[in-house]
Amino acid sequence: MTVRQNALVIGDGEPATAIALGLADLGWSVVQLHDGSSPITDHNWPDELDLVVHARYPAACRQQCAMADLSPAEWHAACDEPLTAAIRVARLAYRPLLRRAGRIVFVVPLMASAGGAGYAPFAAAAEGCRILAKSLARSWGSDGIGSHALTLDPSAFVHGAANSGGEYVLHDPPLGRVPDPRIEVSAMINALTDESFDVLVGSSLVLDGGSWMPG
Amino acid sequence: MKLLNNKVAMVTGAGQGVGEGIARALAYAGAAVMIAARRANNGVPAASAIQQHGGTAAFVRCDVTNRAAVDTAVAATVDRFGGLDVMVHNAVSPPGPPAPIQDIADSLIEAQIATAVTATFHCAQASLRHLRERGGSLILLTSAAGIEGSANLPLYATVKGAQRGILKSLAREWGPFGVRVNAIAPVAQTRAMTDAFAANPTLQARLNARTPLGRMGDPETDIGPVAVFLASDLARYMTGQTLAVDGGRFLGL
Repeated sequence: MTVRQNALVIGDGEPATAIALGLADLGWSVVQLHDGSSPITDHNWPDELDLVVHARYPAACRQQCAMADLSPAEWHAACDEPLTAAIRVARLAYRPLLRRAGRIVFVVPLMASAGGAGYAPFAAAAEGCRILAKSLARSWGSDGIGSHALTLDPSAFVHGAANSGGEYVLHDPPLGRVPDPRIEVSAMINALTDESFDVLVGSSLVLDGGSWMPG
Repeated sequence: MKLLNNKVAMVTGAGQGVGEGIARALAYAGAAVMIAARRANNGVPAASAIQQHGGTAAFVRCDVTNRAAVDTAVAATVDRFGGLDVMVHNAVSPPGPPAPIQDIADSLIEAQIATAVTATFHCAQASLRHLRERGGSLILLTSAAGIEGSANLPLYATVKGAQRGILKSLAREWGPFGVRVNAIAPVAQTRAMTDAFAANPTLQARLNARTPLGRMGDPETDIGPVAVFLASDLARYMTGQTLAVDGGRFLGL
């Protein structure tokens, strides 16, 4: 059985920080790559990685703003820049993951696939990441690298954007709550690194307590 | 009475391929169409062809990655035809040769995001006021790759997925304004595809074999009518949707 050790979590704030802590709780050696303090370059990446978790959505993404009121600079900061950065993350992740037959997981908000009024740039960047996860699964699968996307409730990214009664979904979560990022989301990511899940390829898993059950 | 009589449409990337086919279909359904294209050497003939067949069309030079150019093109459309009911963002930059993501250069990443994502922002924002005045419609050209991902064109799939994030968000945001936002994911035989088939004769047969209807779509007569439908009042209760116009190629999506 492959021993999985080194994880790189990319992103600031929630849910990235909770996921980093949760993976550490589960025994992973975790490095969290924060915005600003560690530019995403070839030079600050480990040579080998078992797991890369992408949850990098800068503050500009998470501010609700009507499309009509966004300046080009605000659009760039909320969409073009994070999307470009995610693609570069994937590019840089290939060799370290290849050496360990590792996994890459993109964590996205529900508005990626369901849309969100006032969150067009966030939804665009995140849905781009979700589809990137599928593309990587298709092209890297034969190299032994797994790629997945996890969709979380909007409240995991935007304080106060809880789904119940909100615009995103019509149903209260049957689970009675949304999963805890530190405990339950981290556990799912950990599970995805297990060899018994190798047959799960390019999945888009929804961890929202069951509010949204896409067809 | 034609379906789009008294409607005005602007189509980006309409100098050739799918955009030109959609522009023709919209015009022949009665709309006045502004052909927005980067180059006059294909935009002008595209407009002239419509005029010669009795349609109403004009050409405006427009690089969709340039915000000011999009604003100017929208203003020119409104000045020329009296308003704007339908904005079709079709323009796309070449996706580059098939390659895994780790082999894709920064320049291609920037070009793809600029044309598919940033330009959608440009077209949406520049057209909203006019679409809102007339209960209009925004139509995006996306791809099945933006739903299922792509091993060979991962960057293209990513930016087309990003477009669908915009699509669904704007459908929610603009619905209360009476503005609908939808997308088409086509499989079409463009001139570029025809050239590819000429260079690789087995390619066409292989692609057709994967398509239940057994052929590639024609931009004007297969893809265009779906754009006409989405632009018309027949689709007045439809928003946030992506219609696959692909001969059944991607039935699993």
